[in-house]
Amino acid sequence: MGYFVELVVSGLAIGAIYGLVAMSFAVIYKATGIVNFSQGELGMLTAYTSWSIATTLGAGGIATVLIAVVAGAVIGMLCERLIMRPMLGEPVLSVVLVTIGLAVVLRSIVTIGWGAAPHKFEVAGVDAVLDIGGMGMRVSQLGVIAMLAAALAGFWWFLKYSRFGVAMRAVAADENVARLMGISTARVQSVAWACASALAGLAGVFFAVIYGLSPTIYELGLKAFPATVLGGFDSVLGSGVSGLVIGVLENLVGGYLPSTLKEVAGFFLILVVLMVRPFGLFGEKRIERV
Amino acid sequence: MKSGFFKQRYAELVVLTDSRAVKAWTVVLFAALLLAPMVLGPFLLAHVTVILFTLVGALGLTVLTGFTGLISLGHVGFLMLGAYAYAIGVTRLGLPPELALLASAGVPALFGLVVGVPSLRLHGLYLAITTLAFSHIVSAALLAGGKFTGAGRGITVLRPRMLGIDLSSDRAFYWFCLAMCVLAVLVTLNLRRSYVGRALVAIRDNDIAARTMGVNLVRYKLLAFLISAAITGVAGAMMAMYISIVSVESFPFLLSIEALAIIIVGGLGSVLGAVLGTVFIVSMPEVFAALTSGMGGRLADLMTTSAHEIKSVLYGLAIIAFLRFDPRGLRGIWHDIRHAWVYWPLRY
Repeated sequence: MGYFVELVVSGLAIGAIYGLVAMSFAVIYKATGIVNFSQGELGMLTAYTSWSIATTLGAGGIATVLIAVVAGAVIGMLCERLIMRPMLGEPVLSVVLVTIGLAVVLRSIVTIGWGAAPHKFEVAGVDAVLDIGGMGMRVSQLGVIAMLAAALAGFWWFLKYSRFGVAMRAVAADENVARLMGISTARVQSVAWACASALAGLAGVFFAVIYGLSPTIYELGLKAFPATVLGGFDSVLGSGVSGLVIGVLENLVGGYLPSTLKEVAGFFLILVVLMVRPFGLFGEKRIERV
Repeated sequence: MKSGFFKQRYAELVVLTDSRAVKAWTVVLFAALLLAPMVLGPFLLAHVTVILFTLVGALGLTVLTGFTGLISLGHVGFLMLGAYAYAIGVTRLGLPPELALLASAGVPALFGLVVGVPSLRLHGLYLAITTLAFSHIVSAALLAGGKFTGAGRGITVLRPRMLGIDLSSDRAFYWFCLAMCVLAVLVTLNLRRSYVGRALVAIRDNDIAARTMGVNLVRYKLLAFLISAAITGVAGAMMAMYISIVSVESFPFLLSIEALAIIIVGGLGSVLGAVLGTVFIVSMPEVFAALTSGMGGRLADLMTTSAHEIKSVLYGLAIIAFLRFDPRGLRGIWHDIRHAWVYWPLRY
């Protein structure tokens, strides 16, 4: 029983990281209707940038989180402005393929810039182990779960009550009508990219702090994909929660079944889910009329 | 002056080419390719061989993504299945190479049918995700396969004797690749103009309209997956013979991206596009390396230390640039040049 609880708890910690990335997928999908395949790479670039800044400044835990948010937002806005903005109004397929191109470029830039060797992301105090009901958990693991909770609450408020969140939903519902109502699609897209990149950046930084910084962080994008699909692409909150589900599932599979299955457990799950509910658990069912 | 071409009979519509010039140039190109091993040095010969088997794989993806409009991010999965089917057939089951080559088309085709089933319910991006999941599952399964699949170490395959011809020399292998490549080109060209090919294009352009016109979506989507997987699997077997070892590492996810880059850069949905794209994408890193080594200095150092990264940056930039500036790809540019040549000094 103790083993099971341990697997679930450490699954929640990694699941919270997946959840943050999954939310970032959903934010961009919600605002622009495209799936950004470079999400993991944006998170990786942000993690490396934050590492460079944080180690030169010797930043503590909270300062590192702030650096990650700001760096992520700036990187996201830059990518949107330089690569995605010119593609506004092009067919969805083209735009999605551009994000694939962007992913490949970002991945290589990070490897060229920072080298392929792994680094240690050291932040003072986060390795301390807290004792919670007989379970040892690191501060960083608790921190990422708290971060996901904060992000979920923040986005729930943002999408429901803030002016910009409502504008974002309007663009997602019908881009042309939203434009007729005076909403700038380009600005919504820009903010969405900044938010998404900041979320992915947070995930990347937490992953780097807990497991070490290496060019394989981009795989977070692939690992979080099942979570986004499970939750539904147009459901930001659903994706975040599904991240936890995928994290726990993966850890349980890794604990009780052969370890190679761990890597693909999430993919198996979404194959099943997609067959039954192609729009995800919390996604909106779109009705096509002919 | 010509005022246009008017096709009046059905046969004229489906003919491969009605131009004598095209026929003549095709013969010249084919003769040049046939005689190439006599002229080219070992490095260039290897380069052309790589182009040939890459083209077979690109044609496989063209059938699925170019003709039918079903995006696949998991074609490396079919490539792996083809390579492993061949390697396992030859080394573990002791099949003759000819049969193993057939297996390298058959096994992926079977899996293509399975992967095709979700495509009946899923559209666009969701399908792309399913195929992505498929390729990850394939590589995980091959890694978990123990002795039978060679797990992490892979399987060594020697160049075979096929139909009594020894393929161990580079020249013989080149001719084998050329033959397979010509076969693949002919298959896709003829598929495109047949009833099946036009049904596939109809599904790509508007699946609901296609269904109204009597195209059976279930049958043709599955058929597209089947044909595409079979062609890609053969490319995988050729690749296995070329690099003479089959392991999961030799089929990275980047190959799926490279295949997409090829058909986008060349021009989606055409065989000529696939050919142009393959030549462009495969040659680009080599040309770039030659240019930078000529310039010397830091750029050349970078090229030698991180050649792999530079290569993928180039793929990425090529995808972005073509989608941004000319989504019709190299084929579109070629059309423009031809038009300009024919109609000069008029614009149309």
